[in-house]
Amino acid sequence: MEYKVEAHRIMSISLGKIYNSRVQRGGIKLHKNLLVSLVLRSARQVYLSDYYGGACLGSQRAEAGEWAEGETMESLEGRSSPGAAGADSCESETESRETLRAPETNAQASVEVAAERNAEEPASSSDYNWPQGGETDEERAPGQAEDSTQVPSCPVPESRFECGAANADEGPQSPAAAAPCCTRKRSAGKSPYAGSPVKRPRPGSVPPANTEGGDASEDMDTGNVSSLITIFGSSFSGLLSKDGAQAEPGAADGDSGSGTICCEQMLPNLSPWSTAIVAF
Amino acid sequence: MKCFSRYLPYLFRPPSTILSSSCHTEADIISTVEFNSTGELLATGDKGGRVVVFQREQESKNQPHRRGEYNVYSTFQSHEPEFDYLKSLEIEEKINKIRWLPQHNAAYFLLSTNDKTVKLWKISERDRRPEGYNLKDEEGRIRDPATITTLRVPVLRPMDLMVEATARRIFSNAHTYHINSISVNSDYETFMSTDDLRINLWNLEITNKSFNIVDIKPANMEELTEVITAAEFHPNQCNTFVYSSSKGSIRLCDMRAAALCDNHSKFFEEPEDPSNRSFFSEIISSISDVKFSHSGRYLMTRDYLTVKVWDLNMESKPLETYQVHDYLRSKLCSLYENDCIFDKFECVWNGSDSVIMTGSYNNFFRMFDRNTKRDVTLEASRENSKPRAILKPRKVCVGGKRRKDEISVDSLDFSKKILHTAWHPSENIIAVAATNNLYIFQDKVN
Repeated sequence: MEYKVEAHRIMSISLGKIYNSRVQRGGIKLHKNLLVSLVLRSARQVYLSDYYGGACLGSQRAEAGEWAEGETMESLEGRSSPGAAGADSCESETESRETLRAPETNAQASVEVAAERNAEEPASSSDYNWPQGGETDEERAPGQAEDSTQVPSCPVPESRFECGAANADEGPQSPAAAAPCCTRKRSAGKSPYAGSPVKRPRPGSVPPANTEGGDASEDMDTGNVSSLITIFGSSFSGLLSKDGAQAEPGAADGDSGSGTICCEQMLPNLSPWSTAIVAF
Repeated sequence: MKCFSRYLPYLFRPPSTILSSSCHTEADIISTVEFNSTGELLATGDKGGRVVVFQREQESKNQPHRRGEYNVYSTFQSHEPEFDYLKSLEIEEKINKIRWLPQHNAAYFLLSTNDKTVKLWKISERDRRPEGYNLKDEEGRIRDPATITTLRVPVLRPMDLMVEATARRIFSNAHTYHINSISVNSDYETFMSTDDLRINLWNLEITNKSFNIVDIKPANMEELTEVITAAEFHPNQCNTFVYSSSKGSIRLCDMRAAALCDNHSKFFEEPEDPSNRSFFSEIISSISDVKFSHSGRYLMTRDYLTVKVWDLNMESKPLETYQVHDYLRSKLCSLYENDCIFDKFECVWNGSDSVIMTGSYNNFFRMFDRNTKRDVTLEASRENSKPRAILKPRKVCVGGKRRKDEISVDSLDFSKKILHTAWHPSENIIAVAATNNLYIFQDKVN
């Protein structure tokens, strides 16, 4: 299970980097953020590999899970010479790599659907101050009329969000743009998703390792991170079902406001995770 | 392998304003170093947008041991910070690259670029000035025409040498993304500028037009998987250039094939070693620099842990792979946390393409001799080097017992990184930029 902790930690570090990149001088660096998003995706796959040990999406997922597990055993336990597990993972890796790429369109579509829904939820909640106005997002879905009319471009870098855990049965849908993410218009003090249901971590998940609990203010609140992880990883069925699970309280992070702001701003930013570097 | 000695410390700031290396300002950090085509001039750019040009002293019989030291020749502010109002983004003034143009007359020309704008600078000397104007006096005040009784012809009188830099061309508004490279074509008429997703071709004379020759921006940005990290023209063939990607591949393109060179002529990529796979495999395979050899026969690429030499005729794998600091492979996670894993190291060839050099951490830089297969690690630091002392090879101890002169991996200083180095085009003189200090090392003179 150590690899899950490691993956979790890497994910929170990556999210912190992406957040910090917005306030860096010179604008967002596309290259660095692309690399960070790749790491984030890998870590996420490892982290969630346990959830779908073969349950959904049939053999594809199983191979991917196997690959992820085998790979992390390799990398995290520091074994350089491929042992038996390594040999297996090597073989399955090449084939699963191809299969991972295959469901990408499905994955993206379902991610976008989820992003769309995510956007709709806070729009209905009056607490959350979604940015209004701003430049038109060229990738806006046509069917999003009920959402805020115009959404500023999201400077969050794109990640090729291979949501292997996504429900393939959702099928390809019209690409949703919802990039309701930008920092400028967001007011810092609001608590995110106060009214929007965020599915609680599934029972089988690893409880968030609060390794960064007392760390520097720019570290993510790990509770929020794991809720983010479940947003992405829970095949979005959690968002669809709207259990009424409450958001992790962003204000729980008792230290300086920046940590809280970071979390608050990250949550909605990442939900339209797949919508990319439209700011560019 | 030549020993490098005759350490000549050149501090980036003039002596009266030296800051100790522990408290330099960020604007002084050197961001690029480049010799011109004869090696007579050495240009450095820094994060504050300044360019400092050093000139080699002419060798004189009076002081034969001062063989060609480099002195400051010109300093000018190349780029200023700007603000993009449409995107509410600040454009950094940091000089990303400097490239010299070949010399045609008494003036020197160089291209310097920040994230968005390329500028052509002319550096010229003035050692005479006209005196004896009729309409203004010696201080420049206008004379009352009624007081002028005679006419004289102004004459040129010698003055103290003044080196002035003027911006002759400004190539702007062509890049949406951050420019990472510029490269002058061997036809000396065109150059290209490269950002994360596009490469533009310019004529040196024309600033209001550029041609897009490579565009890898996907129609849907969500499908973005790789970006361009560096590009360079072939040294001899004016129709050929290469560009490297963040996925570790290099594409060679021929401009004669099509106007838009999205389809490569050659594709160089080494299959990944699955046993080394980790979370950070993609990051460390991203190529940070690509350089043609002087002969044009080989290509050198630098990724985070290795330098590879490719034969242009063999696309499947590199000819040679050199480990720069493989002991960092087990530390990738902490290097990711402190952002060091994103450092973009450059690499250079020597004049004869027999030795390659690249930087590392702790102010170390490495040289690899391609013929003898020997390599050496040297350090650029003031404490360890006295003038005219021979640089001592350093060694990093990777585990087990540490010998006396070795440094253990854990005591490496990752804030002291050598990203930018340059090698004189024909002699064994190297310039190494260590944060805000420039070190110039020369080969031992017998």
